[in-house]
Amino acid sequence: MSKHRVSRRQFLNYTLTGVGGFMAAGMLMPMVRFAVDPVLKGEDAGDFIATPLKIADITNEPQKVNFSFTQKDAWYESEETGTAWVFKNEGGEIVALSPVCKHLGCVVDWNTDKKNPNMFFCPCHYGLYEKDGMNVKGTPPLAPLDVYPTKEKDGFLYVGKAEPRKGA
Amino acid sequence: MRWVAADVEMYQKAAEYVDTAIVPLLPVSFGDDMKQNASMAEFIGILTTQLEKQFKGRIFLFPDFVYIKGHEASIKALKEWENTLLDKQFKHVFYVTSDSSWRQQEKELTGNLLWLPSLSLEHMQEQQKVSIVEDQVKQLLSLFTEKWQED
Repeated sequence: MSKHRVSRRQFLNYTLTGVGGFMAAGMLMPMVRFAVDPVLKGEDAGDFIATPLKIADITNEPQKVNFSFTQKDAWYESEETGTAWVFKNEGGEIVALSPVCKHLGCVVDWNTDKKNPNMFFCPCHYGLYEKDGMNVKGTPPLAPLDVYPTKEKDGFLYVGKAEPRKGA
Repeated sequence: MRWVAADVEMYQKAAEYVDTAIVPLLPVSFGDDMKQNASMAEFIGILTTQLEKQFKGRIFLFPDFVYIKGHEASIKALKEWENTLLDKQFKHVFYVTSDSSWRQQEKELTGNLLWLPSLSLEHMQEQQKVSIVEDQVKQLLSLFTEKWQED
């Protein structure tokens, strides 16, 4: 090992540049971050809410999925549970239907009425909907079930805000 | 439907579809059972809210019927409630309570008494709470649909 003598002047130079460098970096780093912030922002799901259902698990048979989200009602914030009936239609597209009956707001169930198999059934006033959510004429509901926009992220299903459709 | 302005408006438009009333019966006391009564109120409150969510279009969840525990006048007051509800085309009246003293007075009432032993939800995990209440609600749901199918 060579014996390299460091003079007092050199030592002070090194230390000052080092400390100065750190200070400059400390100031510049946040500035740079602010400047490139839009790039750093991760892609979030927007108003879409994550559900515990894997895309791979979706079948042709409607299945019930619960998901939770926070709802703010003036000064009162609460954890709400939402539900969706999810299945794949003939075209292989994912369909997520809202379970809220369009008649008076009860919760509909899949395939629970023995007289009308493979339909959505409302226990309150015996409303019926086809599998695709279309209301059956002659039963109380006047509009088809609302549909959630869906999205896939990391293999899981995300749903947006339920939207109404035109009725039969 | 609940006792809020928006729901009442809906009720007034569709009153002929709403034939079932739920009245929670909640005792208040200041003795040793004060805390127990409070947890009853909590439990019954959560349970009836969930019930109402499922059957929003046919059930009207009325404000709690609150009374001083052990007070004889409460049955009289409740009967008055009952008569008013039956007059107002509610065919089915259900009382939901954890107070066992109502079981002796059940015969005097026309409505159905749903007595549920109170569960203390105080020390439970969120998940556990939800699944327990869901179970209870599920059992009650079938009770309601059966009652409706009778007529």
